[in-house]
Amino acid sequence: MSQKLSITQRINFPHSFKLTAPRQQMLFGYLILLPTLVIIFVFRFYPMLQAFYISMTDYDLIKSPEFVGLSNFIDLLKDPLFLNSAQVSLTYVFFSVVPTWIISMGLALLFNRHIWFKNLFRSAVFMPVIMPSVVMALVWTFMYHQQGVVNIILGWLQISPIPWLRSSSTALWAVILIGIWRASPYFMVIFLAGLQAIPSDFLDAAQIDGANSWQSFLYVKLPLLKPTTLLVIIMSIITAMKVFAVPLIMTNGGPANSTRVLPLFIYQTAFEFFDMGRASAMSIFLFAAVMIITVFQIRLFSAGEDE
Amino acid sequence: MKKGASNLLSVRIIKKILVYAALVLAAFVCLLPYYWMISSAFKTEVNIFRLPIQWFPDPINWMSFVKGWQAQNFPRYFFNSFFVSIAITIGTLLFASLAGYSLAKFRYPGRNIIFIIILSTMMLPLEVTMVPLFLLIKNFGWQNSYMGLIVPFLVEGFGVFLMRQFILGIPRDLIEASRMDGASEMRIFFQIIMPLCKPALAALAVFTFREAWDMYIWPLIIVSKDDLRTVPLGISLFMGNYGTAWDQLMAIATVGTLPMIILFFLLQRAFIQGITMTGIKG
Repeated sequence: MSQKLSITQRINFPHSFKLTAPRQQMLFGYLILLPTLVIIFVFRFYPMLQAFYISMTDYDLIKSPEFVGLSNFIDLLKDPLFLNSAQVSLTYVFFSVVPTWIISMGLALLFNRHIWFKNLFRSAVFMPVIMPSVVMALVWTFMYHQQGVVNIILGWLQISPIPWLRSSSTALWAVILIGIWRASPYFMVIFLAGLQAIPSDFLDAAQIDGANSWQSFLYVKLPLLKPTTLLVIIMSIITAMKVFAVPLIMTNGGPANSTRVLPLFIYQTAFEFFDMGRASAMSIFLFAAVMIITVFQIRLFSAGEDE
Repeated sequence: MKKGASNLLSVRIIKKILVYAALVLAAFVCLLPYYWMISSAFKTEVNIFRLPIQWFPDPINWMSFVKGWQAQNFPRYFFNSFFVSIAITIGTLLFASLAGYSLAKFRYPGRNIIFIIILSTMMLPLEVTMVPLFLLIKNFGWQNSYMGLIVPFLVEGFGVFLMRQFILGIPRDLIEASRMDGASEMRIFFQIIMPLCKPALAALAVFTFREAWDMYIWPLIIVSKDDLRTVPLGISLFMGNYGTAWDQLMAIATVGTLPMIILFFLLQRAFIQGITMTGIKG
């Protein structure tokens, strides 16, 4: 017995030596995390907290910030330009995001079939994703010109030229169309990955039961795509809420403020009117909107894990 | 009976035709801006808005490339864009995989909280923190510097998340075995983990490079010196008040898009994978 004990003790002896190894590993684990933590804290987290503080000040970059409480927020809610901007953003989000879902899902279903030249078509359809936004904004401005290619093509369909970016009633729609053009192929890729993950047994079973392709879409694919669909919905909404390089370049918010989406108004308030407090207060509103959607997503995410 | 069969056949043929019609239409819409950009770049200035429309440039004109290239300091802008995008990409690959490795394979107090904090920054758009981030960079004295263009973007929550998910799939035994063999922790990371992460690293690299090359708002905010302008800023200079030189603009836009097109055709799989992986969040 005593001999056995001493053996375990002997084994235990190097074990106590080994204890430093996990500690060393722990240290290494912290160490390699450090650069990321520093960057994320300094350049993401701290500015976010700072945004709350600045939103409660009056700050023009020259004089030092003066604390004004919630007055920026109260002013904003009374400001017709802010309310207009919020409305433009909501219009943009809704009307760009809904067609994007339909088109991206439709394209994914097409590409999930056996088709000739699949790779060729897929590469072609993917191209909008890789065009830099500045190039996209400028090329589309060129195409939307009164004598541009868009109006020429509409002419084939007997539609008279539209003053796309020149009129306050069409400019937002012109910008929305670009949003759809850009986002649809992106989300198509995500839908396609979701579709390809569906086990073929499910579809075979549906086919044996006599389901036509519409039924197998509605009752087999769509329910199985639920997590992908929810993700696409949330990502597309957040992407659409952030858009502003394109309206900044194409219209600078005009004509008559018709394309001044919220992020663009934040940018203008901060870097054209140098009203940092007011701009930050607007950011907080945008942040709240993003948060609501994110919380919604986390809920769905955790609900998905329980299942 | 025979009639039914031929009906079924014709339904199938009509369906096929519809599928290809939809595909051709989609491809047309997606490629038209590219075609129009490139073909207009080769048109002479008078032919740009000529009616009837010129579908193919005639005569083919190279001068817009030369003039556009010389209109601004484009060699410098391209250098800046490449330098900044490559630096951001390398930083992201290194830091995201280090952090991802740490979060996937090491146990220490606070790990989950840290992971959640990093995750939560994924949904934080730059648009929300734009003003305070600008003030911070201004305080650092990083306006008009490469530091200001690069350092805030050296790692993103998405990259960390992606690498963590990928490294979780690497068996722990592999790491333990190397430890037994006396390999140092750094060596395990660089010689065991990194090589196994190649597909994820490729996807992350392409994804990050594309985003960095596309950056417009941030450089617009912190750069005012010509020496530090990036390609998107340089291209946007063409939108002048005095009327736009569309032929030159389209030529420069073509050149500015070229790196993305080349990257896409070389690394198409990684491109698609990068996007698919944004889809694994859910």
